[in-house]
Amino acid sequence: MFGKRYHKTVSVSWIVLVFVLIMTGCMPDDKRANQTQSSAAGTGQDESSDSKAVTIIHSLPVDTLDPHLGWIALRAGVTETLLRLDDNMQVTPWLASKWEAKDPVTWVFTLRDNISFQDGTKLDAAAAKASFERGIADSKALAASLKIASIEANGQELTFTTKEPHPAFPNELVHPTASIISVAAEEAMSKEAFNQSPVGTGPFKVTAFVPGKEITLVRHDSYWDELAKLTDVTIQFNADANVRTLAYQSKQADIVYHLAPESLERIEKDEELTVQSVTSLRTHYFTYNPASTNVADLRVRQALDKLIDREAIVKEIMLGHAMPANGPFNATLPFGNKDAAQMLDQAGTLKLLESVGYTKGATGKLEKDGKPLVLKLIAFSGINPELPLIPLLLQSEAAKVGITIEIVSVEYPGEYIKNHTDWDLSTASYLTSPRGDGGSFLHSAYVPGGAYNPTNIHINNLEPILKELNKTGDVAKRHALTRHAVEVIQEAMPHSYIVHPNILVGIHQRVSNWKPGAEEFYIVTNKMDVK
Amino acid sequence: MLTQWLTRFVQLVIVLLFLSVVTFVLLKLAPGDPVLAIIRASDGALSQADQEVVRESLGLSRPLYEQYGSWLLHVVQLDWGQSLTSNREVWDILIERLPATVYLALGAIVVLIVIAFPLGVLAATYHNKAPDALSRMIALLGASVPSFWLGLILIYVFAYQLNWLPTLGSGSLRHLVLPSLTLGFVMAPEYIRLLRAGLLETFSHDYIKAARARGISEWRIMFRHAIRAALLPIVAVSGISLGALLAGSVVTESIFGWPGLGSMAIEAIRLRDYPVVQGYVMFCGVCFIAANWLSDAGTAALDPRIRMRKGRRV
Repeated sequence: MFGKRYHKTVSVSWIVLVFVLIMTGCMPDDKRANQTQSSAAGTGQDESSDSKAVTIIHSLPVDTLDPHLGWIALRAGVTETLLRLDDNMQVTPWLASKWEAKDPVTWVFTLRDNISFQDGTKLDAAAAKASFERGIADSKALAASLKIASIEANGQELTFTTKEPHPAFPNELVHPTASIISVAAEEAMSKEAFNQSPVGTGPFKVTAFVPGKEITLVRHDSYWDELAKLTDVTIQFNADANVRTLAYQSKQADIVYHLAPESLERIEKDEELTVQSVTSLRTHYFTYNPASTNVADLRVRQALDKLIDREAIVKEIMLGHAMPANGPFNATLPFGNKDAAQMLDQAGTLKLLESVGYTKGATGKLEKDGKPLVLKLIAFSGINPELPLIPLLLQSEAAKVGITIEIVSVEYPGEYIKNHTDWDLSTASYLTSPRGDGGSFLHSAYVPGGAYNPTNIHINNLEPILKELNKTGDVAKRHALTRHAVEVIQEAMPHSYIVHPNILVGIHQRVSNWKPGAEEFYIVTNKMDVK
Repeated sequence: MLTQWLTRFVQLVIVLLFLSVVTFVLLKLAPGDPVLAIIRASDGALSQADQEVVRESLGLSRPLYEQYGSWLLHVVQLDWGQSLTSNREVWDILIERLPATVYLALGAIVVLIVIAFPLGVLAATYHNKAPDALSRMIALLGASVPSFWLGLILIYVFAYQLNWLPTLGSGSLRHLVLPSLTLGFVMAPEYIRLLRAGLLETFSHDYIKAARARGISEWRIMFRHAIRAALLPIVAVSGISLGALLAGSVVTESIFGWPGLGSMAIEAIRLRDYPVVQGYVMFCGVCFIAANWLSDAGTAALDPRIRMRKGRRV
């Protein structure tokens, strides 16, 4: 049909197009070429012989680096707080060298005298005061957690007066949103520009930020503490666990947060790649509906608690990367419940339900007054992959003893249970001790009106303990009171605690002097290094 | 001419108004609460009473019509509002994300052209022969493969197995290759089929037969006459594709960590950041309408019959 010339032209066009495509796709840019030559992990190393770079991938994209609205500025080593958590989750000095409570509402902090912001201005009490005032004005959450009535600055001495006795005030100050920033720098560069490149006191400075994509950091050479070992750090964001895992396996990143558990077997075959599994401060649990007649009897809740196969959840669903829960706080914490978690006990369940009056009917279902025990469970439809699976396991175990559980999946169980009454139990998942103290969660989850208490659960016996906790500043006594509160909560069983999931972090062998913390606050540090 | 532009402007306003009402109502009806993001950032520090204060201060407790009216009043003054989670101006966020989306759209269009045009021409030229079968098979494959799966496979092969290309991110041509391939390959089948069908139909016309009878080369017939005629439906459809590309590809951008409008939208929807979602939808609406205008202009340029209205040129 067509002539020879036409066929030749078509063939040549094809070859040219394919060539262009290949050249476009595979031609390395200069930066990449340098990386490939100089870095084992193939990431972030520039041409300079003394440069040391690391690339980190995190799962949560951010749109702003505003230190008072998110965690990333502290995580990136750009900002710091007056106090910090150590490896044992104890509050220790950081920008403040010491602190004391003058009375239940007055706290005095002495700031170190040798600290400058990244713009060269000195950190004194007046600068810290301006930072707190900016944070309180911009973040209602920070204002609510600090409860500050007034701040006084005198040289290096910063005095806070709180609106009410606030014994956990030092714990609140370790939170990333309590970061100290240079307000003078913000005034000089505009708020919008500042939130793209905040100025703090940390070991790294922001050189570039692409919202939703990455932060590029460079060492702050006038850092007040030991100078950072690394010269450059890049933090990238990707919400897809499979992509993050492939990036780690491709050695295009040195540290990768929140790996997919099912990929670990493949990763561990590579000798250059390691994975650390750290028990997090998060707790997955079931909350019971205080308005439901089905679970109003404590024995029914205890019976259901015995049907949660925590071992199977840890081993089968979370592939070993979780800890069975016996309370809201994990057992490694000083205020965590050290007792072993409840094991699956079907016989115990049946015994308890029989004591309530349930008997097996003709169909094998448990009945009371001719009415079968049918429960409605509200489950997460997304977020963590394990959360939708846990209710299915409970449903299966319940069916074995004759209880029917109907699962309704919703995007936001907390919102559903707040606005509906037609449910019996619901899944929940919260960070229960991000500040190294349990008081905040106890107030949020067990005091009516608390942020994590949508059904306004109230436990009479708990009230005096929480009141005592609110008056107690001594850390050891607070831990003891928290443990006691957990015992009281377990007796009332408004919740059944399931597991504390682990954080899975991939760390290339070349990274040294670094390990992930349970609190996930301090990711980029001055001590982290590469071999 | 002026009447036509005025008509189009009125159409634009009506479409955007309708879009804004639908989006506003759907967003409010959907479960979720923007205050949840603030609670998460504070790790539970905000009591339910504090949350109500926040809702009140953000105007979320007001009746829906009041919220919409207030939003509309600001938008007509070119004030798109602020993000509820980052406190940043919505317009700044959109403009900041747009270049990455345009960059990816251009990459996808190049891939689409590189795949669709040769395959469409080959399929029509060798109708019912092996190249036609191959072209149809590739088109079927492209139409059947979900973009998230294709994206992961491309990452697995080119980033992990071959280590030729970066897994994620943006900033260089190399970063652009995999997301462009993903988007372009998934969009190409429609154009392969349209081009093939258009060319086959054009080949059957008398003027093509006459050209062949006069001994005009096949090359000249194809590229001077046939493709020009076959392009008409393609240009018409390209308006929708271009609009979709400029709105950002949610899936592809999310997988590759591409900092465009699509990944921004998915994050804003997850956090129920109403002003950002609303701004994004309005922006998409404008992009779709503008792309369709462009497509109309392209169609008119290709076909003189469309240019003629009431005996005079438009």
